[in-house]
Amino acid sequence: MKLEVKNLSFSYGSKPILKDISLEVKEGEFVALMGPNGSGKTTLLRCLTRYLPTESRTILVDMKPLHTLSDREVAKTFAVVPQSSATDFQFTSHDVVMMGRIPHIESRLSGENKHDEEVARRALERTGASGFARRPFSELSGGERQRVIIARALAQEPRALLLDEPTVYLDVSGQFDMMDLIKRLNKEEGITIVAVLHDINLAARYSDRIALLSEGRLEAFGTPEDVLTPEMIQSVYGVEVAVRRDPFSRSVFVMPRRSRVVARRHGTRVHVLCGGGTGGPVMKVLVEHGYAVSAGVVNVLDSDYENAKDLRVPVVAEVPFSQIGEEAHSDNLKLVDESVAVVLSPFPVGPGNFRNLEAARYALDGGKKILVLKPEKCPDIDFVGGRADAFIKNLITSGAVRVLGAEELVSQIPKAGS
Amino acid sequence: MSSSRSVGEVRASRRLYLACLMAMLGGAVFLGFLVGTLGPIGPGEPERITFDEAIKAIFGMRDTGPTYVVSVFWDIRIPRVLLAGLIGASLACAGAAMQAVFRNSMADPFIIGVSSGAAVGAASAGLIGLTALSAMFAPLFAFVCSIITVFAVYWLGVYRGRVYVDTLLLSGVAVAAFLGAVVSFLIYYAGQDYHQLIPWLLGSLSTAKWSYVYLIAFPAFAGSIVIFLYGRDLNALLLGEETAHNLGANPEFLKKLMLAVAALMTAGAVAFAGIIGFVGLIVPHMMRLIFGADHRMLVPASAMFGATFLILADALSRVVIPAEELPVGIITAMCGGPFFLYLLRRSRTRGEAS
Repeated sequence: MKLEVKNLSFSYGSKPILKDISLEVKEGEFVALMGPNGSGKTTLLRCLTRYLPTESRTILVDMKPLHTLSDREVAKTFAVVPQSSATDFQFTSHDVVMMGRIPHIESRLSGENKHDEEVARRALERTGASGFARRPFSELSGGERQRVIIARALAQEPRALLLDEPTVYLDVSGQFDMMDLIKRLNKEEGITIVAVLHDINLAARYSDRIALLSEGRLEAFGTPEDVLTPEMIQSVYGVEVAVRRDPFSRSVFVMPRRSRVVARRHGTRVHVLCGGGTGGPVMKVLVEHGYAVSAGVVNVLDSDYENAKDLRVPVVAEVPFSQIGEEAHSDNLKLVDESVAVVLSPFPVGPGNFRNLEAARYALDGGKKILVLKPEKCPDIDFVGGRADAFIKNLITSGAVRVLGAEELVSQIPKAGS
Repeated sequence: MSSSRSVGEVRASRRLYLACLMAMLGGAVFLGFLVGTLGPIGPGEPERITFDEAIKAIFGMRDTGPTYVVSVFWDIRIPRVLLAGLIGASLACAGAAMQAVFRNSMADPFIIGVSSGAAVGAASAGLIGLTALSAMFAPLFAFVCSIITVFAVYWLGVYRGRVYVDTLLLSGVAVAAFLGAVVSFLIYYAGQDYHQLIPWLLGSLSTAKWSYVYLIAFPAFAGSIVIFLYGRDLNALLLGEETAHNLGANPEFLKKLMLAVAALMTAGAVAFAGIIGFVGLIVPHMMRLIFGADHRMLVPASAMFGATFLILADALSRVVIPAEELPVGIITAMCGGPFFLYLLRRSRTRGEAS
């Protein structure tokens, strides 16, 4: 089924909710609708099901305007799975699934026939809900209830499933079970899916395309890779995030990086010698306290390289899995020269990055303040037969200051202008 | 319930249950015919007739016994029992429909102001002295005023063509409270003269006539059938209006249709028999506890049990105090309340055991 939305606008009274939305969903696609609360996601779904009135010809199903279809035809086109369903009235799960057959039963006088029964039975099977078919719907757990509701949606034999935050009341395993089920229906049975999802990572992992709404406008519509950029998420949600790729599925995922508000950007330059992810916390604390931070030398695949990028810290990088070369080393020393203080984070020292220690020595000899970060419980970082430990000890005896944690650093580095 | 029941088996068991209810109704009708001051079951004063004589009278055989026996049966007893049945069925079906529309099992057919409007109508018909001219004026005024009240409540609960059930419910409660005060004022103001209104306010079938039966038969049957035919849609409505819409049932149309049908059925019932409480609330609720919430079972079951219940309550009202009639509304509440509580407790304990 091809779904087209053309210049759709919707207002509650004088309050505009959707503004000029145009998008297309292809047959068999899995589209996630995302956006902050109040951005119009649920309203858009309700326009699709015609629960809310829209102008004619703004929504087309296989080139046919939605408003020309009868209520029952709409119910045979879209089946809806709401956030949660509850009723105080006594229905068995089977009764609830049977309700999905309402648009298919032609006459008010006739009951459900064998075919309806078969469709309902299959729907319960496909969602793994056969086991509680005869139990009262109101006594099921949230996850079981959602399975029954999806079975009801399937019993409608719809051309597309519309889901409104189907996982919002489920625990983590329930969320994945639910999303796996939806994905299976999408992949194996070719059912088109349009799902409102709040969890960016679930959306990134399961959907083919993401439509990102903000204040009623369609901000972006594309693959998760294209839509979920730190800039886009910053502008729509107002949250700083880092975007990474899952090492196994290769799908993108985001991590919130809410920083503390910087009181004053005084711009005191600090250079961090790091690697192996040890520089991340150091850089973050320094940036938050308003220092102008630089880092080096790390390899391009090192997590400190990504940390530096996320924090927008200038970093001297070496190509992956290589020794620190001449050029990188001299760039590193240049940054050391420009800094007031140099921090040596507790990175594992091997033959490849021994030169970072030499850079520390260079800084100390050049009269810079050197801070050696070495927590109480520090794992062994010497992978060069004791040379690194000896080198660091030597630095401390020559005037480098040992600090125990990243927070302590800040008190040790004088801020410019104070 | 076994997990392997198919549609066919469910349907067969439903037919069996409905056949049982039908048999109960038949028994109640027959019993209703026999109970009374003049009848084989009753106080036996001023005169007891035998079972044989009663049967003969019911079948209209005028050859034996005094002729007034036949006319007591055919002019008073039989229309009264039939009226009780039709009103019981109307109230119970309207109650089931209202509970679905409001998605609240505490709703009853009077929730949209039918009874309070009717009370004002009946009281004012008496006040302006119209009841003295013709006995039909009280039911007529009651009917008209209850329909006007329903329109007012409906108008308060509708915004831009959409029925907001919570607003509707609160409007109904507020309007009923207001009109209740109006009725109390009228009674207080008119003093002694209004004692005749008391049986009507408490519900009574003592004025039953054939003309009432004919007038009420149409809304009772047509209304119950319409509600039954929309049973599947009402089921969907219980899961929410949006869900009903998504399943292809038009909830706005459904709500309006049900309100109109229930209002007509209830207004008719109230006009002729006064405010009989409890039947519209308790009967559908009882049936739901026994048969579940599916309206295709619930509506016929409520109709039959509502009729049975009111016929039996009315029969009891005729004989419970010698030489006097108790308003049937008192009986329905006194018998319905405890029985309902019993069912409620039973379903609760059963629910916990499973």
